[in-house]
Amino acid sequence: MNKLRIHKYLELIIFVVPFLLFQSACTSTTVDEFRQGATGIKTDESVVILGRRQGSEYETREEFVDCVGDRVSSGQDAVTVIPEREFVDAMFPWFEPRTAPMGVSNLERLMADNLVSEQMEKFGIRYMVWLDGFTETSGRTGSISCTAGPGGAGCFGFGSWEDDSSFNARVWDVKSRQNVGTINTDASGQSYLPALVIPIPLIARVEANACSRLGDQLKAFVKGG
Amino acid sequence: MKRNIFCQYTKKLLGGCLIFFVQSCGTSSIVIEGQYPSPNVTKIPLSIGVIYPQELIDFNYVEYSEIGEEEYRVQSGQSHRDLFDALLPSMFERVVVLDSIESAVSQEVDIVFLPAIEEFQLALPSKTKLDVFEVWVKYNLRISDSEGKGIADWILTSYGKTPTRTMRSVENSINQAAVVALRDFASSFTLGFSQVPEIRQWLSQR
Repeated sequence: MNKLRIHKYLELIIFVVPFLLFQSACTSTTVDEFRQGATGIKTDESVVILGRRQGSEYETREEFVDCVGDRVSSGQDAVTVIPEREFVDAMFPWFEPRTAPMGVSNLERLMADNLVSEQMEKFGIRYMVWLDGFTETSGRTGSISCTAGPGGAGCFGFGSWEDDSSFNARVWDVKSRQNVGTINTDASGQSYLPALVIPIPLIARVEANACSRLGDQLKAFVKGG
Repeated sequence: MKRNIFCQYTKKLLGGCLIFFVQSCGTSSIVIEGQYPSPNVTKIPLSIGVIYPQELIDFNYVEYSEIGEEEYRVQSGQSHRDLFDALLPSMFERVVVLDSIESAVSQEVDIVFLPAIEEFQLALPSKTKLDVFEVWVKYNLRISDSEGKGIADWILTSYGKTPTRTMRSVENSINQAAVVALRDFASSFTLGFSQVPEIRQWLSQR
């Protein structure tokens, strides 16, 4: 009898858990590329990826900017990426939320300053990428209750939510002072949190997927071809 | 015997709970701490004397909860001194820290700078329902010549925000927002100094 019960539990673990994990891994990501000019990068040139932080209700997270930067600067066709913090500090006060150039015409004006253009040359910046966007969580449903007593503790219930990430990357060619293109990334996915004694989080990696797809596309974009 | 041990453990547990409860009810103190970069600008050919008033170092702002209890105490501490130490030497030819306006002539400075905080505001996500911590600081920057004659009373407002993060404490987020506000102040001060009409007029008359 006991053996039969153990067998049933094992069956549950072997079939249901991988199914749920598979479900959780389902994230849909769409990447759109809009090219406005030819691109290409030499080995001694670099890219700087910056987050837009002018919005009053949200700001592009530093972690997402770093994630895209790591993706672009790693792998087979790696491109040199200058870390955002290092660049912004070296260029202070020209790339702060209130002073950062909003368009290529502002960049043109900024580059007229010798100190700015010298610093830009020192870094070897060829492309400046502006990331703008955020991840929103919606559709929270379900509930989980946890109790603790002398005999032990446990949780029971089910919760789920949806994450939507929307980011766009505008690529400026610092050499020609032109906007050479835009890459839009939209990703969404459903996360689940079933709790049967212990909560098992099955999280959809929405922002991570948006980061890797955007990073790969951006790398291919600046490389040209 | 067993009952005594049980009582001892229960007392310890209750004591621990009481300490935790009292601590969680107290005011959280935040002393602003951060690092500030030096500006990448052409130096203004002036010798500036700066006075750090004690009120600037002692400045503190108290945020009250909805039931009127002290919730967070934000202290300025050495943050403004650190900021001006990074800012002024890159902006001016010579920087001298003065004890009082009287020593300006003997130190042969062209202008004297006296910063003061007029107002401080804090917006918490728990109250605004936004996913950001926000800080506003209103400064009154008094600029006078070496003899103490006023040149300008420059009112400058700075703003800083930081998004909420799962693994970051409220105290850390408030500090981060305040540091962003101080950086915003630094950028406005650097780029706006020569643009203040009274200062521009004084500079043109030299």
